[in-house]
Amino acid sequence: MLFHWVLLSLALFSVGIYGVLTRRNAVGLLISVELMLNAAAINLVVFNRYVAPAQVDGQVMAIFVMALAAAEVLVGMAILVMLFRKRKSADVTKMMGLRH
Amino acid sequence: MNETLFYVLAGLSVFGALATVMTVHILRSAIYLMGVLCLSASFYVLLGAEFLAGIQILVYVGGIVVLLVFAVMLTRSDDLDEDRPTWPRKIVGAVGALSFFSVSAWLLSQSPFAEEKVLETSNVDIKSIGRALLDTGSNGYVLPFEVVSLLLLAVLIAGIVIARKEPQ
Repeated sequence: MLFHWVLLSLALFSVGIYGVLTRRNAVGLLISVELMLNAAAINLVVFNRYVAPAQVDGQVMAIFVMALAAAEVLVGMAILVMLFRKRKSADVTKMMGLRH
Repeated sequence: MNETLFYVLAGLSVFGALATVMTVHILRSAIYLMGVLCLSASFYVLLGAEFLAGIQILVYVGGIVVLLVFAVMLTRSDDLDEDRPTWPRKIVGAVGALSFFSVSAWLLSQSPFAEEKVLETSNVDIKSIGRALLDTGSNGYVLPFEVVSLLLLAVLIAGIVIARKEPQ
């Protein structure tokens, strides 16, 4: 059963990699990163459940992953909205320089 | 019973994730992501982590997806209304993702894990999670907990500073 659980989180993570490699829209890119973070959090809880069921370390780390995901999305969105105001585009392939 | 439920939910979840990265409309992508995250909450329930399932709904579905939808609506541009990747990009993405998946799955099948007997009723409750988060001992997480609270404050300030209107 552990093997199937880890395989599931692996599949979700790989789908996230595909999204990161194919998306051009910055929001789409962040959505794919969220998929990957979520897969990693599932992995932590799975190992908590099947390898050390008496402890809560995996669940605590999953909580930290969620807090970091929220922080990452907030900063990413703030940068994106600012860039969009200046250039009228959300295309990451056109954001080559940090200034102007 | 639980195993059948797992396979059904896992299939739905992978399908939803594929829909998330393949749809051309970003707003639809955000909605599919919401579905995948709700399914992940159901996985947490199956794994006996009900508290995490609640947090998942509150933070991810209630916070992050709403933020993403707002961002999609604020950054609607004419040149990128639909995100259609070119074929070379798709091939690179598929090769990258499939090679990562196959190598990791092969490594996973080779490695033995010290699997312990899982109790039917989990003896892990919310109280022990709270104790672990604020424990100052060697197995406690009080330092990362405080660091995360600092990080959230920094992110709050950074979000306001970056996204405010430029003074004239």
